[in-house]
Amino acid sequence: MEELKCYMPKTLREALEIKAKVDVIPLAGGSDLMVSHKRTIGLTPVFEKPVMIIRNLPELRKIYVNDKGECCIGAGCTSAEIAENKLCPWHLRQAASRMGAIGLRNSATIAGNIANASPKGDTPGPLYLLDARVKISSLRGDREELVSDFIVKFRTIDLKSDELITEIIVPYSEDDFDYIFWHKVGTRKANAISKITVSQAIKFEKDGKTVKDYRVSATATGAKTNRSRDVEKLIIGKTIEPEIIEEVVNGFDQVISPRAMPEFRREATRRMIRRFLTEAAKHPKDKVIDTYEGYSMTGAPTPRS
Amino acid sequence: METKICFRLNGKDVKITTDPLRRLIDVLREDFDLKGVKEGCSEGECGACSVLFNNKMVTSCIIPIGAADGQEIMTIEGISATEKGKIIVDAFADGGAVQCGFCIPGMVIAAYYLLSNNPDPSDDEIRLGISGNICRCTGYDLIVESIHLAAKRGGAIWKS
Ligand SMILES: Cc1cc2nc3c(=O)[nH]c(=O)nc-3n(C[C@H](O)[C@H](O)[C@H](O)COP(=O)(O)OP(=O)(O)OC[C@H]3O[C@@H](n4cnc5c(N)ncnc54)[C@H](O)[C@@H]3O)c2cc1C
Ligand code: FES
Ligand code: FES
Repeated sequence: MEELKCYMPKTLREALEIKAKVDVIPLAGGSDLMVSHKRTIGLTPVFEKPVMIIRNLPELRKIYVNDKGECCIGAGCTSAEIAENKLCPWHLRQAASRMGAIGLRNSATIAGNIANASPKGDTPGPLYLLDARVKISSLRGDREELVSDFIVKFRTIDLKSDELITEIIVPYSEDDFDYIFWHKVGTRKANAISKITVSQAIKFEKDGKTVKDYRVSATATGAKTNRSRDVEKLIIGKTIEPEIIEEVVNGFDQVISPRAMPEFRREATRRMIRRFLTEAAKHPKDKVIDTYEGYSMTGAPTPRS
Repeated sequence: METKICFRLNGKDVKITTDPLRRLIDVLREDFDLKGVKEGCSEGECGACSVLFNNKMVTSCIIPIGAADGQEIMTIEGISATEKGKIIVDAFADGGAVQCGFCIPGMVIAAYYLLSNNPDPSDDEIRLGISGNICRCTGYDLIVESIHLAAKRGGAIWKS
């Protein structure tokens, strides 16, 4: 195959065939790549390797529930498509609906957000929380890996040169949790790259008191998205008491390692955990604690204030 | 490297042979002389370069032209020629929404996209709808007013 500077496959199969032969950079929405490779007005971006445009591959644009009841999201689905699709888990819809502004959300894809492997990326927070997996495909076949393993470290993912991310699979059902929480602290309402986002969820045992499951994840609080099962275990099997809340708060504080504005990020994270657990213990009527809801033009939840 | 790229532009089928990694904004402005597409920030932040891509608002400075192959693009030139577009442009003029004018093509596209999805938006919904479009002159209030005016004048047209 003659090596080109840019490939424009029409099908996933064709894209995987190209990937098997040439070490190309996949370009989906372009919202990371076109910005990081931009030169100046009127000049074409220059890439270190050939590029393969995958924005419109129809196979990567589907959202459906598989036979195990898991939500499967095509790698090329945009933030807007995820935000407005009720099949997608709540935490993920929140994150998707607050990424950038409208124009950005119509370009930015979920696989691009994961592959970018930035600790400031918004979708990994919910994806870590919900034990989501990436489906990775090549001509050799498909494999799956937890998003939290796939993102190896800052700007590094576990992807071989012949592979593409094709789907994100989220094991999730409405009754997995009794209370849910998602909050983004940004500089302004739109287009804000996160200062931090925190996702939380809790499920009680039938007695309504003992914690059956508790999860917390945070983005932009270290080199990659943070979640710690050891910290979560501090409260699982127990009832929510002030001392236990503090154990969780302090435990998670040890896990995160924010570099810029560390005290602000630590304090905000501590407060969000404390608030969620304190409120959940009161068993409020609303399933959503501290959230955003309301109307938006994409049907996505939007900030109340 | 040049490749043939075919797409629909403002309702007409067009083709060009060019480097598929050129930015959509550059092709629209230089090859198709659509100078209503403005360049502010060059990085997806300001909304001046907004166009509709398959009827969805996007910023054309972060999209390579290769991604438009087989797709449909509408610019301010195409939109302002439609009945809905005219209603917005007139409302902006009558409502005093325009000062230097640089952000206005993007604002009109944002207003068009908003009203097409939400014919009767509240103040907050309008502000959210134009939140990706930066204006250095107006302070936004008259733009918001003018979008209300366009919603009112268009009435049922926005629902069609
Ligand atoms: C104005 C602006 C505001 C932004 N705001 C936010 C924000 O609020 N929150 C946030 O999280 N991000 C934000 N971003 C960053 C960016 O939009 C997101 O990371 C987005 O999800 C990237 O997706 P994309 O499809 O545009 O990526 P691209 O630029 O196309 O690709 C990004 C990376 O992913 C790889 N890739 C893409 N698809 C695949 C695939 N299928 N398989 C393997 N690799 C793949 C590419 O090779 C590249 O390395 C913002 C960006 C801009 C320009
Ligand atoms: S020039 Fe494209 S968003 Fe600013
Ligand atoms: S009118 Fe000057 S930037 Fe908006």
